[in-house]
Amino acid sequence: MLRCVNLTKSFDKMLFSEFNLDLEPGEIVAITGPSGSGKTTLLRCICGLERLDSGSIFLNSVNITDLKPEMRGVGLIFQKPVLYPHLSVEGNLKLGSKKGDFSNALNEVGLPNFNKRRIETLSGGEGQRVALARALLAKPAVLLLDEPFSSIDDELSDRLVKDVKKLLKDRECPAILVTHNKKIAQNFADRVISL
Amino acid sequence: MLDMLKKAANASAVAAYLILIVVPLWLALDRLIWVSGFDVGNWFNSLDENYVSQDVIAFTVKQAILSTITTLAIGIPIAWQLGRYKWPLQSLIKSILTMPFVMPSIVAAIGFLNLMDILDLRGNSDTWFTILIIAHAWFNLSLVIRFCEPVLSTLDPRLEEQIRLLPSGKTLMGRVRHFWGPIMAPSIIAAACMTFVFSFTSFALVKLITLGENTIESMMASIGSSAGIEGYRISTNEIILGGSIIQFSVLLISLWLMSWLAQKRQSLLPKASQKVVKTHNPYGWVVVGPAILFSLAPLIAVILKSLRIQERKKDIAVEYWSFDGWRYAFKETSSLTSGWEALTNSLSYAFITLAIALPLGWLLAQTIKDLEKKSPNLARIVDVATMLPFAVSSVMIGLGVTIGMIKINPQFFYDFWFTPVLAHVMITTPFVVRIILPALRSIEPAYDECGMVLGMSPIKRLFYLKIPILSGSIIIAATFTIAMSMGEFGASWVVTRNSEWTTLPIMIDSIRDPYNPVTNTASNAVAAVLMLISIILFTWAEKFRPKRDGGMF
Repeated sequence: MLRCVNLTKSFDKMLFSEFNLDLEPGEIVAITGPSGSGKTTLLRCICGLERLDSGSIFLNSVNITDLKPEMRGVGLIFQKPVLYPHLSVEGNLKLGSKKGDFSNALNEVGLPNFNKRRIETLSGGEGQRVALARALLAKPAVLLLDEPFSSIDDELSDRLVKDVKKLLKDRECPAILVTHNKKIAQNFADRVISL
Repeated sequence: MLDMLKKAANASAVAAYLILIVVPLWLALDRLIWVSGFDVGNWFNSLDENYVSQDVIAFTVKQAILSTITTLAIGIPIAWQLGRYKWPLQSLIKSILTMPFVMPSIVAAIGFLNLMDILDLRGNSDTWFTILIIAHAWFNLSLVIRFCEPVLSTLDPRLEEQIRLLPSGKTLMGRVRHFWGPIMAPSIIAAACMTFVFSFTSFALVKLITLGENTIESMMASIGSSAGIEGYRISTNEIILGGSIIQFSVLLISLWLMSWLAQKRQSLLPKASQKVVKTHNPYGWVVVGPAILFSLAPLIAVILKSLRIQERKKDIAVEYWSFDGWRYAFKETSSLTSGWEALTNSLSYAFITLAIALPLGWLLAQTIKDLEKKSPNLARIVDVATMLPFAVSSVMIGLGVTIGMIKINPQFFYDFWFTPVLAHVMITTPFVVRIILPALRSIEPAYDECGMVLGMSPIKRLFYLKIPILSGSIIIAATFTIAMSMGEFGASWVVTRNSEWTTLPIMIDSIRDPYNPVTNTASNAVAAVLMLISIILFTWAEKFRPKRDGGMF
């Protein structure tokens, strides 16, 4: 499915070196590590927002290392939800898929009737659910999650972890979660790797 | 007790403003209708029937639309380069590119005339229209930069990254359609509206650059002196009434659109990001380099021409370096207003205008802010009322003061040195309100509450909390007022009826004579003085501009 071979990246210091990962279809992997260990950069390299120093990335046996981010078919959910304030909730979802069942997508993330809501009226957790619905509507080959549960309170975070895991498993969507929270990593993923 | 005093001050500010702004315009309107009769159809018909106003509307609209398109075409790529990339001496480059907007229009006009001379285009009757459009673009370029650059430079990079990872953003066109277009459109359209308004009401540039063509504004200025006189040139009054109504309507619609877009823009604008990391773009110099040259060329031309005397000796044009123009401009004679006198008048008018417009504008802004909590509808009415003068051009304001005051007391009007200040206060007060009001709104209520629980009196809170927090905006409003008053040309040109009132812009226009080598050079010398004062004020004020102030004035 997704193969990362000898990925190496450094800025002022070495972030990760010779990193390897095989992600099976439908598998969810969590990568943990302390702040500054390069978790976010690793995700950004996989989706193409950062260039690797060396190494290769294969998606379904196709080498995507030098492809532009928009051509890779990899989705990313940022730490804080990135939603476009000039669009409503449904407008944001349409960026993921022009002709999707938006009401159903919102139902699935626990936000029924949120279609016409303005972005600035959403709470942090609601925003993250909309970002997730949008990412899933885009049907990515792999979904990357960059600490999406860290900016919300514990109770909501626990619920969101369960909901998101179920959604990904229902769709058999492979995913990589990076987090510094080992408990979330164990609850969410099939396999946990330390960076 | 203090609350009552505050209410009284607010009410007095609104009353003073209404008297200052509405009364002269109302009196002028009343006078014009009294002379010409109340026949609205006739007012509009007269525009078409009289040679002086024929084709004026078509010309005004045509040049304003073309100027707006040209300004956007030049301005957007520059704003993009400045907003998206890192530049050496970024603040200097930005200052140079945004300076034209604060340059008095008469200086811009003189600068472009000089460039036409240098490029040998002066005698060419085919090029003046193109030069006029380019001059308008030069003047309004900074509007596009000031409206668009702050959005681009503080845009959260994750927004762009996210769209690239979504199906709608796979192609460049998709990203423009779904992201860049909606994010930038309100700023671009708002800048376009302002450019259209300024080009529509252009006076100095049209008066000096064209070969006698008129916009509604310049046409009204040229015939305004014969208006308001009983039984004399009735059609002049009708033309002014028709022209004013058309101009007022167009400006009102444009400003309403701009105000609506400004609100929309503010609510749609993603929060400023501190995470923006910009890169260098060497190829961007292809855009930024010529833009810097374009911004500086007319100003350099003013300085150069103030030191060059051109004479004809035996049919041969001879040009040489000389300070004769400067000496002539600042020479004390009994027959001519000297540069010193014009400078003194300009500075005096500017500081008196500041003394009235700043406190008045501040009080009005405070009134609107206070009313927003207690009575939002009334706040909106006062807010719109303070914006009305934006829809009244400077020549219309000049005519309002002239015709309005003639009705009250003609002799007093001709002897009253203070008269131009009225017009300057009418023009500058709305700008003060627009600069101070957002600053007042941005003050956290917690600051005042904290002062209260610390036991500070209202006066202490004003001097120790409010004024220091607002100081940047107050300084910008003050320098803007001084610069606008000193460079004001349209209203002053209409109002000035006495050589003792001559200001720098009026002097530049009155001594400008392309066939007299010395006076022409002298007008450039006076323009250079006005230009340098504007540059100093602008550069100084920019230091105090709050970061991400929304990019308006």
